[in-house]
Amino acid sequence: MNEEERQMKTKIVEKKYLPEVSQKEKDELRATVKATSQRIIAENIERMKKADPQRPEALKYFDDIANLFGKRQEEIESEKAKGKKVVGYMCLFAPTELITAADAIPVRVNSGWYDTSKLGDRVVPVEVCPVIRSTIGAKMIELSPFLEQSDALISVLTCDGMTKLSEILSDQKTIWGMNIPRIKDSTQSLRFWNDEIKHMKNQIEKFTGNKIDRKSLKEAIEISHRATRAFRRLQKLRKGNPVIMGRDAMLVNQTYQWDDKVRWTDNAERLCDELEKRAERKDWVVSPDTPRVMVTGTPMFWPDNWKLPTLVEEGNPPGIIVADEQCSGERILNDPIGVDEWSMDDMLNAIGERYLMASTCPCFTSKDGNEDRINWLLTKIKEWKVQGVVYYVIRGCMLYAMEYSRVKKVLDKINVPVYYLDTEYTREDVGQLKTRVEAFLEMLNARGDF
Amino acid sequence: MVGEIIGDILRLTVLAGLGIAGIVAILLWKKNLATRVTFMRFVIQAVAFTVLFYIFSYSVPMLYLLIAVFGLSLFLGRFFCGWLCPFGLIMDLEIMVRKALKIRHRPLPDKLNIVLHKSRYVILLVFLLLPAVFWILDSQEVMVSPLMAQLLAGHYRVYSVILDPMVPFIVPWSGIGTINLASINFSYPYAQNIVTFIGENIGIYLATIFVVVTLIGGFLIRRVWCRFCPTGASIAAINRFKGFKRVPLLYVEKDEEKCTKCGVCKRVCSVQVNEVYEQKSGRIGTSQCMLCARCVEMCPYEGALKLKLGNKTVFHSRNWLEPPKVE
Repeated sequence: MNEEERQMKTKIVEKKYLPEVSQKEKDELRATVKATSQRIIAENIERMKKADPQRPEALKYFDDIANLFGKRQEEIESEKAKGKKVVGYMCLFAPTELITAADAIPVRVNSGWYDTSKLGDRVVPVEVCPVIRSTIGAKMIELSPFLEQSDALISVLTCDGMTKLSEILSDQKTIWGMNIPRIKDSTQSLRFWNDEIKHMKNQIEKFTGNKIDRKSLKEAIEISHRATRAFRRLQKLRKGNPVIMGRDAMLVNQTYQWDDKVRWTDNAERLCDELEKRAERKDWVVSPDTPRVMVTGTPMFWPDNWKLPTLVEEGNPPGIIVADEQCSGERILNDPIGVDEWSMDDMLNAIGERYLMASTCPCFTSKDGNEDRINWLLTKIKEWKVQGVVYYVIRGCMLYAMEYSRVKKVLDKINVPVYYLDTEYTREDVGQLKTRVEAFLEMLNARGDF
Repeated sequence: MVGEIIGDILRLTVLAGLGIAGIVAILLWKKNLATRVTFMRFVIQAVAFTVLFYIFSYSVPMLYLLIAVFGLSLFLGRFFCGWLCPFGLIMDLEIMVRKALKIRHRPLPDKLNIVLHKSRYVILLVFLLLPAVFWILDSQEVMVSPLMAQLLAGHYRVYSVILDPMVPFIVPWSGIGTINLASINFSYPYAQNIVTFIGENIGIYLATIFVVVTLIGGFLIRRVWCRFCPTGASIAAINRFKGFKRVPLLYVEKDEEKCTKCGVCKRVCSVQVNEVYEQKSGRIGTSQCMLCARCVEMCPYEGALKLKLGNKTVFHSRNWLEPPKVE
């Protein structure tokens, strides 16, 4: 479908979900929300700078990229002017290697704006997960630069929210749904998913007009490999005594989702070099006795949804986030694509397996339930020497909320405290959260002394 | 007689020593080799190939070889198949050619693969029982027991059939089942025995068909012969039963907690062993596994898979995105 046809279609088809918002209202709302968001981005970065007086130089680059309305937006705009396509995606299951191989730009468009979630209430009830509501709201006032720039969206139907979100967004965007099997470990699931990947390849090829051949796909996979290497290196550096604030590392991880992959890798490697030197100097960002916290659960999207990491690391007593198990964090790049033979077929299968089987998303179940996630949590706790786990859930995220009791049971067995922290896309509960987080950190400290 | 045996043993020891020395020399030359198992395996296969060539040129009684191979698989499982077997080397070379040509491989359906794997024991039994059947059909007066006579000498020799995968591509002898090109004798596993056993007229055709079929099969399907090769029957088959669990010294072990079930191990396995993926943890006790350690090499999670000798970890999976550490 070419551009004109698509526009024709959007003209004819009546909007199924999105309400008509007058241009004036849209502009006004966008201006206010954008101004707030820019202020919050600056504020968050400022606080992160303050938290670590000897903040690595290499982080400057990531601060730049973290400004959603800055450098990267302009860059994508100019690339688009040259004729490049932008393909957005919501869940991490979208095969970004295929997008890169077709010479298009992959960007993740999930929204972390608190204010837009209120706008989303006009379309869906408040019980719905705020990530979904916020993304709808962002679309309504055309706030998110990357969502606006993307020519097509890959929507992987992981949870209920995502499924309907793709339907709602289809009012204004070309949506490619990918049907993900929920039972992860059966052969028929994999076969089905591999078919979806092949289908997606054809779709991307047709849309961008660029053929994905063996060479370009291999290149794309190698780019991912290098990025994964840098990513894993950064996470490994967080295993020892803290050399980087958890927030800084989390921000670096997140910027990968919209940054240029190659440039991100170079800068991440530079950051790791700097951190290694710092570790040699034994110049820790916080005292090595600081409780080591891991965050797991619902994704936390930059810029607004940054309250928990801020509260943990600026708390009294402070904690340090050394690891996370979230799809906005370590799951982005942890697993490499294990290609055995560099034939088209094997590469596609490898991509399919990497996205489906290596994932620890709670939308899956298998013979033993989602035990991959449990095992992975245990490994992370052991290797990153985690002293306490914050199980972060935003209201409406059913899958994470429902898996909590199982995680709690397992972590109780190895005597690692886990704290269930539920919140909303709002700034109003920060004070209350502060009390809760600090009580947890106090307890971790007491355990440490004991 | 005793002197001969001692002489043979000495010669074998010297050859084995040479082979090991070669491996050690190469390892020393390239220190990070131990982290690149596939390459190391290829070197060892090549060394084994030459060693076998020399063994054959000294006309060592094949029975010793038979004992050596089965003795090896008693303790090391099918280490022989993955690391030493010349027929395996031929098929690995084919895989290399295929990879270079970027042609995809075809996996067998899992069920067929398991049926083939089970049939290897039936084939082995048939080979072992054939002499007795022949003797019943056409009984002759023999000095020793008929089975022994047939086993060790005569028209049909069981041990030589079982040892057939060990026939290196280039053989020191000439005659039946070999082709002489530029004064090098080329042969192929099983070719010679097919010709001698069935008779030269039809046998040559059958042998040619066999060679062509296995070559094409090995080209399209990874390690196709290894999936039902009777020589590959190993004691590892019984380690699933109580009391035999500790028999194989060399094995692959899996750590449940470190595994995310990404499925790489299953996909890279050239003989399609599913256990390494499906089994939750512990040692992978299937005689399908040739211990080639490809899964261990390709597993991207530090220490999730381990190749162990006894209680010692010989080699474990690592983050292969990082360049290997040179000490």
